Amino acid sequence: MRLTLISCEVFTRELCETAARSPHQVDLVFLPKGLHDIGCSGMRERLQAAVDRVDESLCDMILLGYGLCNNGIAGLAARGLPLVVPRAHDCMTLFFGSRERYEEYFRKNPGTYFLTTGWIERGEATGDLRQLSIQHANGMDMTYGELVEKYGEDNAQYLYDQLCDQTKHYKKLTFIAMGLEPDGSFLATARKRAGEKGLEFTTEQGDIRLLRALVNGPWDEREFLTVPPGFRIAPDYTNDLIRAEKADT
Amino acid sequence: MPVIQTLYDAILNGNAKAAKEITQTSLASGVNPQALVDDTMIPAMNEVGRRYEANEYFVPELLIAARAMKASLELIRPLLSARGSEPVGRVVIGTVQGDLHDIGKNLVGAMLEGAGFEVIDLGVDVSPEKFINAAKEKHATLVALSALLTTTMHSMKGVVEKLNESGMRPGVKVMIGGAPVTQKYADEIGADGYSSNANAAVALARRLVAA
Repeated sequence: MRLTLISCEVFTRELCETAARSPHQVDLVFLPKGLHDIGCSGMRERLQAAVDRVDESLCDMILLGYGLCNNGIAGLAARGLPLVVPRAHDCMTLFFGSRERYEEYFRKNPGTYFLTTGWIERGEATGDLRQLSIQHANGMDMTYGELVEKYGEDNAQYLYDQLCDQTKHYKKLTFIAMGLEPDGSFLATARKRAGEKGLEFTTEQGDIRLLRALVNGPWDEREFLTVPPGFRIAPDYTNDLIRAEKADT
Repeated sequence: MPVIQTLYDAILNGNAKAAKEITQTSLASGVNPQALVDDTMIPAMNEVGRRYEANEYFVPELLIAARAMKASLELIRPLLSARGSEPVGRVVIGTVQGDLHDIGKNLVGAMLEGAGFEVIDLGVDVSPEKFINAAKEKHATLVALSALLTTTMHSMKGVVEKLNESGMRPGVKVMIGGAPVTQKYADEIGADGYSSNANAAVALARRLVAA
């Protein structure tokens, strides 16, 4: 089959390797991770534009390398081709290899900040996405100095504590090793960041199984949603997580 | 009265120190505390809300205005309580179980305080039982739930269900918010209201406690 995989860039290393070994012909389109920071309607619009750019005469099906991502894919419509999406909360489900494993880890380890190669290399929003980000709009990316300048010393500390210290409730930093790291440099970076933030550091072996299943098929209903042409993605509040609804409703 | 006008400005500009000082001076000179709240402070917060809706103010301005309001209210509230005056409503607020994000929750809490609610903040990672117990103990009429993740938002449903079982409904209303939360989800789990931002949350809370 000829597939186009539109994915968040945090999966770049995993999906390039998987596509290279796939029985299918896979075109890869990576979109910036910063889309997650601009709010769900902005994210959906840019994803829709990427879906709409796919040449339907050269492709049989579109795959999405995204989770529900806080409703960032909600409303995304399949046009002439079916869209296949993993039933995942976010990228961590895909790094962990299954929802069950991620949910269990999440439950047992509240306050964990995760890093992978993609999150280390591509975790920061850049360019116009940074300017458009919710963090920027809400002053969450301001330095202490900038806060003092704008709001005075007394308010700056308060605002910094309220808005800018985003890791204050985190206890642990977990590096998810996917088995394709070139050397120990990513692990070392993750360990260093944990130290800088005063977090306990652990590593967890990731599982590329679900990302492989996304690229290679056969896309069973339990783990993947297939959105037929004329339908769009809607959040579902059952265990299915997402469902397809008619695009004109 | 120029002094009152200045308290209005102190809140509007988020100057907590000035708000506190002016409140102290005003109270010492015999200004009626209830009038100070009704005629100056609440209008100031209403103006803060209007500026936010008009994109003239952003989240930092909301936070510092609410902080100034709180500094002033801390002096006034004991006087009001002594006169037997009740807050607009009592709200138990928290981020749901498993979720540690609190920026939105804190902002809504600060704005509700600014609007004259008594806010009981349970913090983050709050279990349904904790919400129910706090609502019972504090005689709250409103429970406000926040979640930032689709992995954690379903805990909201548990809170509503437990409240239903406790027999405290419909006397206790539930309002919900957070990035993945929608009005549709609120309807589906039987919450009484949803708000997409802190300013609208105040209007919603007022509506719910009045209902």
